[in-house]
Amino acid sequence: MPPTTSPDARARLWRAAQLAPVLSVLVLLFGGALVLALAQSLGFAPWFGVNTFPDPSYFGSLWGSADFWVSLGLTLAYALAATGLALILGTALALALVRAFRGQRLYKYIYKLPLMIPYTVGIALAVLMLGNGGMVSRLAAFVGLIDSPGEFPRILNTHYGWGIIAVYVWKQTPFVALSVYAVLLGIGRDTSEAAAILGANRRQIFWRVTLPQILPGIVSAALICFAFNVGAFEAPFILGGGYPDTLPVVAWRYFNDADYTLQIQGMAVVVSIALVAGLILFAWLALYRWQERRMGRR
Amino acid sequence: MGRLSPFQKIYLFLIAGFILGPFLPLIIQSFAFRWAWPDLLPGTWWLEQREKSPIPLAWDYVLSPYSRIWEATLNTVLIGGIVTAICLAICLPAAKVLARDRFRGKSLLEFGLSLPLIVPETAIGIALLMMFIRLGLAGTYTGIIIAHLIPTIPYMIRMLTSVWQGLGREFEEQAMILGASRWQVLRLVTLPMLMPGVVAGALFSFLVSTNIFLLTFLLGQGKIVTLPTLLFSKISGGQIDATGAGIALIVTVPGIAMLLISERFLREEAFGQGFGN
Repeated sequence: MPPTTSPDARARLWRAAQLAPVLSVLVLLFGGALVLALAQSLGFAPWFGVNTFPDPSYFGSLWGSADFWVSLGLTLAYALAATGLALILGTALALALVRAFRGQRLYKYIYKLPLMIPYTVGIALAVLMLGNGGMVSRLAAFVGLIDSPGEFPRILNTHYGWGIIAVYVWKQTPFVALSVYAVLLGIGRDTSEAAAILGANRRQIFWRVTLPQILPGIVSAALICFAFNVGAFEAPFILGGGYPDTLPVVAWRYFNDADYTLQIQGMAVVVSIALVAGLILFAWLALYRWQERRMGRR
Repeated sequence: MGRLSPFQKIYLFLIAGFILGPFLPLIIQSFAFRWAWPDLLPGTWWLEQREKSPIPLAWDYVLSPYSRIWEATLNTVLIGGIVTAICLAICLPAAKVLARDRFRGKSLLEFGLSLPLIVPETAIGIALLMMFIRLGLAGTYTGIIIAHLIPTIPYMIRMLTSVWQGLGREFEEQAMILGASRWQVLRLVTLPMLMPGVVAGALFSFLVSTNIFLLTFLLGQGKIVTLPTLLFSKISGGQIDATGAGIALIVTVPGIAMLLISERFLREEAFGQGFGN
């Protein structure tokens, strides 16, 4: 029997047809961008009159400079600090949200606000609150800690990145809370009530019963936040400490340089960012799988 | 239902303050004419100066055509609407397959469809810009709309898949057994049952699209402004004045509107579906 007439093959064809539009969009955009970035970072740029493919020298000079590693370190440090804080704050928030309290309906509106608005609003708020002439500095003067804006310790535009981290945490705590809250709703209260009846205290219930159940939700929320933070541009651009910048800002500066060799170098930065994200994703998933197996889930 | 511990009560207050608190000075700032350090309230309010000033001040400026706020709002809504429509059209059939069929490579496919959530925006944005410059799509609405599909697809797929899962084949089969035609089944059974999920998915992808900054900023090439890019250009110097505060507040309005309607439609469970499990 020819394959096209069998109902099985027709079903498969129909399935492929239904998947095709969304897949082609992602494959073309993702694949195209990825291939182009990789090719250009390896010296394939005929539009600049350059074609030395495959030429590892752009990666060589990028990875050979100490500044690149400083930038990478800053990028990872801000991303990690913000993700860690958002995870803790968000999980604690979700645990409070599943309990009964007055004003719960209103609260569930309020806490989601940062999810609904762009990062740029968060950055504007950070400038207003944490800048040297900002609200925190005014409050410090009000209680008599300082006498002039110059005495206020710089929070923004330093390499400690407090401003950047504050914006990420402000925006991502609700995201983590919502993710974990959804998981908590899904698992219900049966197991924790059973543990309570068997004599477990609140702390034991959290560490032994609840946390293992919500871990998958926490892990995926963390992954999404962390990857976003590694690739975020606007917060470090406005609130960062300047040179050496985080990798996305470095890539953007290279990319806007009139010198086309630097533009090609910029692509090497882009590929590096993608590599970092890929490595983190891979390591994280491997760790997660290992943990699951250790706990005997699969 | 357990009750809140005292610690949790305080914690909820602190978080609410952390989230909402900064908006208070933002509102005050937008009405300030002169707000010298270390005053906790402006010395001169914008309205006091309004009659004396030859040039438009703060809200006069923000709401005037010079600020480009209306243009940016229109662009944001237009792009968000078209992105949502296209996203819905391409994700609806795919989500049906993912919800109902079992086939080899399905988990790999699901992983691939979640990938945009964790590929850094900068990486994809700059590479796309290079590609779109060659294709002549940089600085066009088409280019921006295509780029916005990337971050909206994963959420749309998740939400629609959960709807299709809730709508078992039985309903459609029942209708057919009772003599309904394919068209009748689609119109009277499938679509009405899908509607809540479709609305939720559409709202959410509209929300994601209206919040995108970097892809619009890179691919718009400064020619097309949306609310996030307008605000960025206003505060990129690291300072915020009364007009900047006014624009920031306007940029927040669609989010508040979404918040008010989303509670009815958004399914919180959609966030609980993990990654790689």
